[in-house]
Amino acid sequence: MASVPVFNPAAPADAIEMTKQAFKLSAEIKLPMIVRTTTRVSHSRGIISYKNIQDENRSPRFERMPEHINIPARTAAAHTRLLDKLKHKSVLELLSMNSKIILNGSKAKLGIISSGVATSYLNEILYQNNISEKVNLLDLGMIHPFPEKEVLSFLKNDFQKILVLEELDPFVENAVRTLAQKNKIENEIIGKGFSGLTTTGEFSIDIITRTLGDFLQVTLNNRKNIPIENSESFLQSLPPRLPTLCAGCPHRATFYLLKLAIPREQSELILCGDIGCFGLGALPPLKMIDTINHMGMSISMAQGIYESFNSSQSSKKVVALVGDGTFFHSGLSSLINAVYTRANILVVIFDNRTIGMTGHQSHPGASQHLPKYQEIDIPPLLKGLGIEVVEIIIPFNLRDGFEKLNKAMAHKGVSVVIAKGPCIFLPDFKEKIDERMKIVVDENLCNACANHENISLACSRCYSPKNNLSRAKAKLFAEVSIPGEEQLCPANICNHGFFNSILEGDYKSAVEIVRDKMLFAQTCGDICHRPCELFSTREKVVPIKALKKLVSFMDENFYDFSLPISRVKNAVNKNKSVAIIGAGPAGLSAAYDLVQAGYDVTVFEKEKKAGGMITYAIPDFRMDKAGFDFEAMQLKEMGVTFHFNSSLGKDFTIEKLSGEFDSVILAIGLSKSKTLDVIENNIPVEKRTDALSFLKSFYLKENKIKNGANILVIGGGNSAIDAARAAKKLNSKNKIIVSCIETENTMPAFAEEVKPAAEEGIDIIHDSYIESISAVKEGKFNIVLHSFSNKKHLQNLKFDYFITAIGQTTEPLIIEILPKDENTRVRSTNGFTGYKNVFVAGDIKSGNNMSVIGAIASGKKAAVSVRQHLENYPFEYEGAKALEWLNENSTVHVRQVNTVTTNNLREEIEQFNLYQACMKCNHCIDNFGCPAMIKINGKVEIDESRCTLCGLCIDVCPNNAIRWEQ
Amino acid sequence: MITNKKILIAGVGGQGIVYLTNIIVETAMLSDIPVSVSEIHGLSQRGGIVTAGIGLGKYCTGFTGKANIDFLFGLEPLETQRCLPWLHKNSSVIFGDYRISPYAVNAQTAAYPDVISFAEYLGEQCKEVVFIKNFPENIDPILYNIFLLGRATRMKDFPFSVKKIEEAIQNTVTEYQLEKTYSAFREGMEFNSVIQPV
Repeated sequence: MASVPVFNPAAPADAIEMTKQAFKLSAEIKLPMIVRTTTRVSHSRGIISYKNIQDENRSPRFERMPEHINIPARTAAAHTRLLDKLKHKSVLELLSMNSKIILNGSKAKLGIISSGVATSYLNEILYQNNISEKVNLLDLGMIHPFPEKEVLSFLKNDFQKILVLEELDPFVENAVRTLAQKNKIENEIIGKGFSGLTTTGEFSIDIITRTLGDFLQVTLNNRKNIPIENSESFLQSLPPRLPTLCAGCPHRATFYLLKLAIPREQSELILCGDIGCFGLGALPPLKMIDTINHMGMSISMAQGIYESFNSSQSSKKVVALVGDGTFFHSGLSSLINAVYTRANILVVIFDNRTIGMTGHQSHPGASQHLPKYQEIDIPPLLKGLGIEVVEIIIPFNLRDGFEKLNKAMAHKGVSVVIAKGPCIFLPDFKEKIDERMKIVVDENLCNACANHENISLACSRCYSPKNNLSRAKAKLFAEVSIPGEEQLCPANICNHGFFNSILEGDYKSAVEIVRDKMLFAQTCGDICHRPCELFSTREKVVPIKALKKLVSFMDENFYDFSLPISRVKNAVNKNKSVAIIGAGPAGLSAAYDLVQAGYDVTVFEKEKKAGGMITYAIPDFRMDKAGFDFEAMQLKEMGVTFHFNSSLGKDFTIEKLSGEFDSVILAIGLSKSKTLDVIENNIPVEKRTDALSFLKSFYLKENKIKNGANILVIGGGNSAIDAARAAKKLNSKNKIIVSCIETENTMPAFAEEVKPAAEEGIDIIHDSYIESISAVKEGKFNIVLHSFSNKKHLQNLKFDYFITAIGQTTEPLIIEILPKDENTRVRSTNGFTGYKNVFVAGDIKSGNNMSVIGAIASGKKAAVSVRQHLENYPFEYEGAKALEWLNENSTVHVRQVNTVTTNNLREEIEQFNLYQACMKCNHCIDNFGCPAMIKINGKVEIDESRCTLCGLCIDVCPNNAIRWEQ
Repeated sequence: MITNKKILIAGVGGQGIVYLTNIIVETAMLSDIPVSVSEIHGLSQRGGIVTAGIGLGKYCTGFTGKANIDFLFGLEPLETQRCLPWLHKNSSVIFGDYRISPYAVNAQTAAYPDVISFAEYLGEQCKEVVFIKNFPENIDPILYNIFLLGRATRMKDFPFSVKKIEEAIQNTVTEYQLEKTYSAFREGMEFNSVIQPV
């Protein structure tokens, strides 16, 4: 007890009386005093009277005396003088005055010695239960020096038992036991350990009630009240209410910055915290503190952790977080030691210009007593210590703060970041606030889905605070910000969710997001012509296709189809059947959507394999055929029935199917190649073919062109280039020339296909057509090429073989019954042909873009039309906007491809922010947690009564849903 | 003179719990009732739970214990529910449906309890329960404490007279806030649209 008198008040009235006594005694015996107020006493209020407080006017004086110099030779004598003071007459008088004995005569055989707040509990229980007369009491108001005389006189009453009640250590109890032993008093003394009394934590009414009952061997309940019944179920799982940093607190901004700069999940970084308001950063949602111990310990702890890890090879930076008040109080000496030992630590000083937690007091770095006191500026102080990296950040400036934090993290040695922003209770904070403004949330952008009108549709984007943190980071630091609506997919794949999953490193979810909407993740990664990238006119766009290829070619993602299969299992069976004619990308896509919606789906295909043009017309050097076969055949696993080798017109008719099924989707493609008279009339049939037949025989390895042939391919589309490249692959000595009427910039073939063709030695003669053909010897033919634009002669060439690739058309006879356009493609309204229950999709549908993604999208759209027809499905096709764009812009030239590899992946994609509203966002609540943000019915709202208009949430929201309003 | 009565005020930091406590303490002193208070406010300014226990009478502290609260003011329903262990069959409770979601509810890791079924349960268990489902729109939420105090004066076991409370408000509240406070108090006194489950 430091050999000073200790007063131990039990209630506010004691506290004021004892404080007065302590001051008086202190002056008298020239010693400091302790008035020991514990938490419960400090947080109590009661009626007190100040009475007369004497204001003594003393003038300071100092006398030179040997007693002021406590060198070792004099300490023993000083110690004696100190102990003598405790025997002073005034001390003894106060000991007696503050020890209150209440004896209740012969009936009461039990004694209780209590001190501090325990006395208040005891008095209340004795009085309220009307049992005061059953015990004798000694209340000790002073516990040091120990009031031996008073305690001894109490003990000498020969009680059966004596109970000692005091919080924490058995200080009184041990002193009583010692006293009893010295005086040969053998009555039983009980205290800690009795009736569950412990040396930790606080006492309470309930604890003392129990103990007193045990001591008196009676059952006590509080004032004989009958407790209410069955409250357990109402008390179970009540949500906790943890304290949180105030709305507008600069510390929250600093923690948010730390979250952005130091992703905790990805690193083993240790953050040592300290005492103060900002210690709340240890609690959810911030959770950016790993240790809090004694005041100022953050820095010494970080230094110590660094030292211990440093000796075992790893020398990772450790972070110390300290408030400005604590920094001056006890952080500075630790910091000096950290600099001295060259510890590799980052110290973040949370400088809110006050000591917030205890009521906004001054400290040497932020004085409210200028000019009486001098304020100390932290940066020159730190520079003076030789710390090289000292950065000042304004926590509300996220971009600047992020950069400086990263710089400080990268520095080896002690670096310091001072996060300087005034506490919201200081005038400095309020001065910056424009109270005419308010902050509002646009509910259309907050927790809304920009992709889906029907939000019950599958969404595989993981809801994860971490994932949303990456989105928020992208918003702040990406060079290119693109609204999601600029990179839409005609198949309505959520490109936003897809991209952000990859940004987060969650490639599996990315593949699942594709598969939420479409079967062909890998195939589209190979051959889609990327309308999602063409849709935007920006210089740089997110390379969706390349990313799709990257993630879908990872085996562990690709071969796991369990999620779509489980969706079929969980779907409510609609008890409706749909026949799909044609197993190309359109038919299969319709089947994929319908089977997941609970329909019975049967697919009829004239070939022996699924895929249509993808299987038979796109050569294997452009795509992974095995991957496609796997994808297509997942439909069987999902419960789709296939009838192969089954042709329309031969094996069945549209009329027949429309009678047998609830709906029919016609998706047979354009299987008949267009012909060119000049070829038909001049070249014998064995010397010519069309691109589709040629590519099919290439796929089936049934080609019979002799090696070293000169081959002319006629056409400027992808089939022409595919056929040319396939012909070159057959034999490298084959000489291939492509003649097309279009220029380099207008030819419909994808630039990314034309380029490798040129590299493989294939010549393309643009703006040309065959003016005439004449046979020459040895089966060769002489071709005269003219310019298409000015009809002038270009050149004469000799060829052995001819492939025409000028497009496809329908076989009108088998679809006689349906309405057709001028190109004999089937007309429809939203996919409905107008005939009975027959719908149309894919290349055969009038006006539909002839591409893989165009076919897929039209298949999906037909599936929606079928659902509207059969089940009153209330939604329109959700990819309509992108599909419309695609159909109207069929000749847009394809840009050069961006390749993305795992080597440069992060660098490539971190430059982008592809943003839009998302249902699976809870970012501001999860990672920021301002108490002024409340979630009501799934949307965040700003509680104006709590909002301090700091405005940081506007930067935090990854959806741009929050803004200022006048 | 009323003795041996414990009042508890429960709510969330910022709701004016200590403010209401001060008015009640002043009322007790004006009524010559011995009074003491125990407040529990861990980080009250920062959205934490605040409770204030007021003991009326000799040797009656503000410390709460099992079944020892006679009169409960619930400024927030969840915090009212958390006070169940302290209630008994003869307790009186007044509380209103002004919810302040704790972080766990905002973060969707926990659900806010069903306030209506709690109010019904409380009505079955306690002597008198007044549950204010909708506060009048013209009352500023910061004055719900005073509004509840006004309504409480009409409860059977309410220990003070209206006159003494009005005097206490006069002594406690700054002149600037006085008229608004009186008006909230009077509106509470006259308020009738309540669900009284029992």
